[in-house]
Amino acid sequence: MLTRRLIVCLDVKGGRVVKGVQFEGLRDVGDPVELARRYEEEGADEVTFLDISASAEERGTLWDLVQRTAERLFIPLTVGGGVRTVDDVGRALRAGADKVSINSAAVANPALLTACAERFGAQCVVASIDAKREDGRWRVYTHGGKKPTELDAVAWARECVARGAGEVLLTSIDRDGARSGYDLDLTRAVADVVDVPVIASGGAGNAEHVRDGLTKGGADAALVAGILHDGVTTVGAIKSLLREGGIHVRSRT
Amino acid sequence: MRVTLFDYGAGNLHSLAKALATAPGAEVRIQEDPVRALDTDVLVLPGVGAFGASAARLEPGRQAMRDALERGLPCLGICLGMQLLFDTSDEGGGAGLGYFPGKVTRLAARRVPEIGWNTVEEDRTLAGTKLDTVYYAHSFVCRPTDASVVTGWTTHEGDRFPAAVRRGKVVGVQFHPEKSSTAGVRFVRAFLEEVAP
Repeated sequence: MLTRRLIVCLDVKGGRVVKGVQFEGLRDVGDPVELARRYEEEGADEVTFLDISASAEERGTLWDLVQRTAERLFIPLTVGGGVRTVDDVGRALRAGADKVSINSAAVANPALLTACAERFGAQCVVASIDAKREDGRWRVYTHGGKKPTELDAVAWARECVARGAGEVLLTSIDRDGARSGYDLDLTRAVADVVDVPVIASGGAGNAEHVRDGLTKGGADAALVAGILHDGVTTVGAIKSLLREGGIHVRSRT
Repeated sequence: MRVTLFDYGAGNLHSLAKALATAPGAEVRIQEDPVRALDTDVLVLPGVGAFGASAARLEPGRQAMRDALERGLPCLGICLGMQLLFDTSDEGGGAGLGYFPGKVTRLAARRVPEIGWNTVEEDRTLAGTKLDTVYYAHSFVCRPTDASVVTGWTTHEGDRFPAAVRRGKVVGVQFHPEKSSTAGVRFVRAFLEEVAP
């Protein structure tokens, strides 16, 4: 029986893990390789690097970073952010990523998902969807949540899967960073219509929120970031709570 | 001990190479030519790509590779690499090595691909280590003609299929040991110690 997964997300810029502080710029919080390794040791099931580099110079260090990480990390590594072409995906995989998440580029060119799945396999293509609640539905936004589209998140998730995505990373823009819990209605609505794993993202403030995302939200995996980096809770504490709730998770051995 | 990864195209070999290199005395190399890849003590068929394209890359060395395995060359096939040890695949055309009789078919489940950590049942693949929960990422699975080659099973939804097969010093695993954290690295090392001491 498949276990539910806990995925740790690290924001990466110019080869370092960074963290935004109330729009007051970014603070350096550490070396991505060391942090990724530490989370593996604590029992994380996967690591995701989200590249938030603004310039080509910063971005250029990403592939070297991915390679150095892959040589020391023995759990799956997903890379997302700024992936635009089939060649970008190929480069990420050769550098050492196991999966690549595609967001704005898939909206601009949905055929990209199909091309990547045919060339590299559906299991490494993650459709990343940022959604905001509007009038009882969820509108898809691109470009880091700044640019509205005409797409409905539930219908778009279904289309991404039909076009070849092997997983859906679903982020609630409303809840992102709010620590008030995942948008369970959104998560459930998407999980009910797609046959691939759904990763709940945006809003985890404690271990109970993770549990609710997996049970009430119906997600296969939960993405967490800030609450671990800030020491609000730990991978071990979250997994203990999940286990107590009868959820099947991997033990750390 | 020379350990050679046959590189048939697609993706990430870094984690696998590093996992193999943790075994004492292992010199890990990567080779794109299927015949040259046989000049080794241990052959590894890694787990990334699609069956049709990979079978085409294998074709010029297919018979030589099969002969080498029958003569006792130790081999570890991972995910797609395991599937290449069988005859054919519904995923794409071309022939596998046919070391294990049987074919590769699509997972019979609602959620495909299977992505995530799942158990290995009744594992008896290696003497030195027992597998529990490991990482899978695949849409196709091996269906051996002779179930006695299966050394570990796993189940996704209603489909029960081989997590591992073994005959002599040739082992195939559907999961990714190089992505299965400590347990996976231990498995890779135990394999090398058992087949090429």
